[in-house]
Amino acid sequence: MVWAFVLLSPGGQAGQAGQAPCRVLYARAFGTSPGTPLGGPRQRLRRKEQLLVVARQVASQCQLLQSSLGRLSSPQLPQLPDEPVSLQDAPGGLFQMPPGDPFPDRVTVVWLSVLALACALVCDPQENLSLAEITLRRLAPRLLISLRLLSPGAGVLLRPDAADALLDRLLPHGQMLFLNERFLQAVDRELGIKASR
Amino acid sequence: MFSAAAESFLRQAREIHEEELRRFAGRVSALLQGPEPGAEAAEGLRRLHLTVAATKYPRRLDGRFVELLQTVLCSPKSPEQVQVLCAAILREMSPCNDLILRCDEIQDTKLLSLVSSVLLAQGNKKGEVAAVGQRVVKVLEGRLPEGQSALLLLPVLANVINLSPESLTEEQTDAVSRKLADWLRYASTQQGIVQPSGGFFSSPRTKQPAPVTEVDGAIATDFFTVLSVGQHYTQDQWLNVQAFSMLRNWLLFYGGQEGKAPNPDDKPGMDRSVTSMVSTTSTSSRLLPPKEHLREKAFEYCQRLIEQSTRRPLKKDDGDLQRACLIEAVTIMDIICKQDSSYVYRAVSFLKILHGRICGDATYARALLPIAQFFLNHSKLAAVDSDAIYKHLFTDIPAQLFHNPSLAFEFVQFCKDNSQLFTDTSSIFRHSFPNLFKFLAWNSPPLISEFVDLLPFLLDAGTAIEIFHLLLDLPCLTAALDIQLRAAALPTSEKATSDPAVKPATCLEAFRHPLYKSTFQHFLRTKSAPEDTPESLIPLRQLLGSLAGNPRVVQCAETVPVLLELFFRVMAESADGSLINQLVVLLLQRSDQLYEIPTFKDDVYRVLSSQLAMLCKLHPALVVELSTEILEFSGAVSNIQSKEPIFTHVVWAVGEYLSVSYDKRCTVEQITRFFETLEAVLFEITQLRPLASTPSCAPRAISVLMATLTKLAARSQDLIPRVSMFLSKMRTFVQSPAVTSVYCEEDLEEILIRATELMNLLKMPSVAQFVFNPPMDVASTRLQREVNDSLPLALRMVTHLLEPAPGCTPV
Repeated sequence: MVWAFVLLSPGGQAGQAGQAPCRVLYARAFGTSPGTPLGGPRQRLRRKEQLLVVARQVASQCQLLQSSLGRLSSPQLPQLPDEPVSLQDAPGGLFQMPPGDPFPDRVTVVWLSVLALACALVCDPQENLSLAEITLRRLAPRLLISLRLLSPGAGVLLRPDAADALLDRLLPHGQMLFLNERFLQAVDRELGIKASR
Repeated sequence: MFSAAAESFLRQAREIHEEELRRFAGRVSALLQGPEPGAEAAEGLRRLHLTVAATKYPRRLDGRFVELLQTVLCSPKSPEQVQVLCAAILREMSPCNDLILRCDEIQDTKLLSLVSSVLLAQGNKKGEVAAVGQRVVKVLEGRLPEGQSALLLLPVLANVINLSPESLTEEQTDAVSRKLADWLRYASTQQGIVQPSGGFFSSPRTKQPAPVTEVDGAIATDFFTVLSVGQHYTQDQWLNVQAFSMLRNWLLFYGGQEGKAPNPDDKPGMDRSVTSMVSTTSTSSRLLPPKEHLREKAFEYCQRLIEQSTRRPLKKDDGDLQRACLIEAVTIMDIICKQDSSYVYRAVSFLKILHGRICGDATYARALLPIAQFFLNHSKLAAVDSDAIYKHLFTDIPAQLFHNPSLAFEFVQFCKDNSQLFTDTSSIFRHSFPNLFKFLAWNSPPLISEFVDLLPFLLDAGTAIEIFHLLLDLPCLTAALDIQLRAAALPTSEKATSDPAVKPATCLEAFRHPLYKSTFQHFLRTKSAPEDTPESLIPLRQLLGSLAGNPRVVQCAETVPVLLELFFRVMAESADGSLINQLVVLLLQRSDQLYEIPTFKDDVYRVLSSQLAMLCKLHPALVVELSTEILEFSGAVSNIQSKEPIFTHVVWAVGEYLSVSYDKRCTVEQITRFFETLEAVLFEITQLRPLASTPSCAPRAISVLMATLTKLAARSQDLIPRVSMFLSKMRTFVQSPAVTSVYCEEDLEEILIRATELMNLLKMPSVAQFVFNPPMDVASTRLQREVNDSLPLALRMVTHLLEPAPGCTPV
């Protein structure tokens, strides 16, 4: 199953003075993994911390991949917010997190960099990782639009309902869907999105 | 994007005080309770959500407000956006103590889905998961209200069974299984009807619904699946998609037969599945119990998907989905065959054909893994030879597709999941480890922890030496792979073999140069080749030095120390004396032949030197057995500068273990020979008037040389006068002006103190002998075990005895 979806800001590169820390901008957990202490603020704290650990690891892998590809860590933004944003070549990857660190069981994290942000799915190791990558590649451009990530301001922080609406269609209750392009178009019509590929 | 402005906004949200929050919540509360909560209420809720989400510690929201959120969530009059935001806040706060939400009475599927999301976030302390599961199943089984469909509920159900599969009774799972089978198999094959656009002048045309097509545009001639294409979709077609999306987990949890193992008396595979092929037509399978019925429909669905997934799609992105479907279909078939082995025969021939179709296509490479897994699981039962499949997978795929990070990750996972395959010494899997390391060399950061898990399975007495070399040359492999890729990308005109007489100017030219070709091929080999090392790898390694700054190479180099330590840890547990000897000899040889990345060499030396000490401790006799090599190594003054850590540890090992108590074959001649060699080295580096060519050495090297010479003298007491005389000259050495300019004061003082202590010790030869050669059983006390630390302590003890403080008498 998919345990969580995370949208994060990787922050500055390690070693640079005054860089922004890694932040979780939006996260959705789809249930509590067995073995988590239940009840009260500790459960919530545990969840927040687990997601932050995932975010940090994604940020680190993202920076390492960018440097191995010889790219700048913060890609140039398109000049006009209306310009269709191509995420076809966006770097992404897969890695595992061992049991106990931070989730009770082993998990696989699938991540994708989205301009200067990144998004990730935390899955069981046996999940269909190809489908997870497809799901992320579909969520990313639609999040860009719905959350108005290209315009300045704090839009990403103030539109949890827009993010929820997207996830409800493309990852309802953490269920990844085998949607072909036509089904995807139908979803876009319902959401009123004109998403570029 | 996430700008400084947004960052400060987040900080503000964190710093909002309780009082301010309470007042704001009150305002929102008023808006929510007003006649028509609109945009302003939504805006307020969004800000509240941010405030709650921004901190790790929980924000106190008034209990009545939380209750209001729940009421608004469940009220049919609330606008959808407001409901969604209330649910978001409740989830963000969870677990909530004040939750009064219950799903028992909810009929509306949309609301049930939303409320379930809140309940499932609570953590199941009060059985919320089971409650949701029960409600969802009840609604699914009953008649749904007008205009509603099961569509929104299936994902909830999927979530429930993942979290707590025991929430559903067998009756319930049977009922759902029947529905799933229907949705999978009997969805409409006509496209959905477009709503007429209306308008005054448009004449309503009753358009005949068109049939759905395949992804390549052909009209579909079989049942609907996720790879069926239409302009618009009907409800049951959506349900088809949902049902397939949750099918794998459903079968995993509920598809197996408890207590109904395949009958061992039946002949495997063939007989039973022949009968099942005959009897299980689509009409008669309805008479099967729900589990078996679903299994049959699922199998047919997977077969159809596999057939559909090799068509050429009109839309490029559908290709990605085809491949994901292929992987899912094969995986589900594997599960079905595990649950009912009568399907194996049908599946095996089908999958063999599939493999034949896709094995040459790089875009389908990831699908080869579940296919191979299937054959690993079932080929024995079906008496099918699948060696060709494994051979292709392990020989060709890593060599061609190491640069695909997703494939690399999944391939390594496959190896880990089937690690027992590597322990069989004759298997193809085991011999392909050079290929596997290509994945790590190219994609180091995500794969290093996976290789830490995998390496122990690849290592044994037969592969240890080759893997040792491979690890030390791993960054060279990265560089070689880089060149291989670039060479392949060149236009054909530039691919001709270069002139053997002309030395290559770049690595790229070297790739096709006759002199370097075989070395390249050695690095890039696909199979283990322990005897096959070309004459020397040094020229190519030097040439590849131009790539030492390449980021991938650097990332790879950082993984080597970790793997080396693991390598030696495994060797410590399993290697015998002869293998240890081989490793030590190689260690000394290879210390000269490392890829030229400065931090890489330092790290490797650090690991090799500490592991050398460990190996000597395990097999002390090696000092005697390898005396030739060690003499040669420790006699070369240049080694002190270039490989100080290794040199120091070698000399230390000589001091510790060159003794009759560790190896009866140790003779006085040997001790004397080592003594003379080390004495010459120490002499050269402690000259009073150093030449320009005399290296300045780490003080540690001088200390350890002095200590080792003393230890050797303690064992062959004729040497004591020579050492004492040498040590007494150290005072002059540290005071000589040429030396004080090179070494710092503390270091020189340490050297002098050490020399004095050692001299004093030698004045009491029997004590010295005891300190340096304790009988074996005494050597197991803690003091003696920490050999590097105990010597100074012992020396100080003895010094106190020899130069007692006033008032103390020696014992």
